[in-house]
Amino acid sequence: MRGNNVSYLVKKGVTSVWKNFVMSFASFSILLVSLLQVSITVLFILNANIIMNNIEDTNQVAVFVEDVDGETEDQHTKKVEHIRDALEGNSNLTDVQYVSKEEAAKKWANSMSGPSADLISMVPGGNPMPETFTARVTDVKAIRQTVSAIRGIEGVEQVNAPYDFADALVNIRKTFSVIVIAILAVLVIVSIVVISNTIRTSVFARRNEISIMKYVGATNGFIKLPFFVEGCFVGILAGLASWGLSCFVYNSVLSLFTDSITLWQMFGFFNLIPLEEIRFPLMFANCAVGALLGAAGTTISMNRYLKV
Amino acid sequence: MVDMKNVNVHYSSGVDALVDVNLHINDGEFVFIVGESGAGKSTLMKLMMRELTPSSGRVFVNGRNLGTLKGNKIAMFRRSIGVVFQEFRLIQDYTVYENVAFALRVADSSSKTIRQRVPYVLNLVDLGPKAKHKVRDLSGGEQQRVAIARALANDPGLLIVDEPTGNLDPKRSYELVGLLKEINRCGTTVVMITHEHNLVRYFGGRIINIDKGSITFDEMIGGSDYYEG
Repeated sequence: MRGNNVSYLVKKGVTSVWKNFVMSFASFSILLVSLLQVSITVLFILNANIIMNNIEDTNQVAVFVEDVDGETEDQHTKKVEHIRDALEGNSNLTDVQYVSKEEAAKKWANSMSGPSADLISMVPGGNPMPETFTARVTDVKAIRQTVSAIRGIEGVEQVNAPYDFADALVNIRKTFSVIVIAILAVLVIVSIVVISNTIRTSVFARRNEISIMKYVGATNGFIKLPFFVEGCFVGILAGLASWGLSCFVYNSVLSLFTDSITLWQMFGFFNLIPLEEIRFPLMFANCAVGALLGAAGTTISMNRYLKV
Repeated sequence: MVDMKNVNVHYSSGVDALVDVNLHINDGEFVFIVGESGAGKSTLMKLMMRELTPSSGRVFVNGRNLGTLKGNKIAMFRRSIGVVFQEFRLIQDYTVYENVAFALRVADSSSKTIRQRVPYVLNLVDLGPKAKHKVRDLSGGEQQRVAIARALANDPGLLIVDEPTGNLDPKRSYELVGLLKEINRCGTTVVMITHEHNLVRYFGGRIINIDKGSITFDEMIGGSDYYEG
């Protein structure tokens, strides 16, 4: 096709948006609502995932160092270093901290009040507090395998892990994933049905124009191009509007959590994605999906009118 | 130019629209196809422009077997003929110029060709001064002439005209057929479908009568010189 005819068709596509303003506006509105729903849901999912990770990060295991009678200080130090290296070498553990018997006793004393704080000094045989390591589990789903690996380290006497908490988190995440997938699937399906019906109505109103084009010898590509451009253009406009509204809503909600930090941090509402970080990817995604839905919806809806 | 061999068209509704039609139209002829409503005239036209394919038999136009055309080849074929519909089928939002230019753009003509050809065909149908008017602002007769200009834009060898006088008063009808005769004299084959016998008798020429899907009359008749409007 000659350049002059391509530019003519592209221009026709863009000007058709204004010429068929009512139907274009209907398509724009439906695309906007659909994109906005999906966009806000995706933002919610991304942040909910971060909150879940924050909660998971509080999941700690305690590793007790074996206390062997007659062990020299040098042997004991080597054993502790061996355990530290093994724990730090485990990819599912982070933030490995060593807590000596003295530190443990001090912590315990600090947590007590009054005469109870001196109880440890009264225990016959000296400080009974265990020497431990603490570490955070990165992937709670693999907590049992991790604990089993820790038990295999020479010099480890016992491992305490919050299995109930880990299981609850795994279940919450599974349920959350199912709900999120279901919501997204319903949103996408409903959006596609509503969008295709709206665009079909718009194309139906112009079926006469399409049949005239066919009768004078236009190829399907020639007829589709302006409709494709029109669909893309409406989709991009809807994407931009959806992006603007998503940013506004997101920023408003984000400020709710960041204005009262301490209360929400307790529930894992920290490290939420700042708007600056997602502003442009969100714009690109909204415009790309809008253009794709607009263009695909228009050209697919046209097919039945091209059989002349 | 047009060749139909043992053509039958059977619609799914059970109607036999054409029954064993054999027809040959030579280059440069002017042919009237007449018949009552429902006789099969429009089906014949649809066959010639490849809107329909026959249930059996073969249709050749400009040497092409229309039954074998698929996809974009149909579009290419339609660019080689001109069709004028009773209801004009113009794009109402476009100007007169844009409607005619559209047929040239479809055929991938250059901007220069479009700029030269559109005024030429608009002057042929005496619509040069109305080039910038929106089609919806024109009278029925003027719209019909725009449709003829559009059909002539790509300089077709065959012009098929379906009931062109159906929406015109008698005087305009005679003028329009006079214009088609002029176009024919310039070498374009014209097939005009009509049910107006007065017009046919006035202009004369080759007359094909269709009745109940069959050709019942195919003769040359002489024209009269009186106006029966």
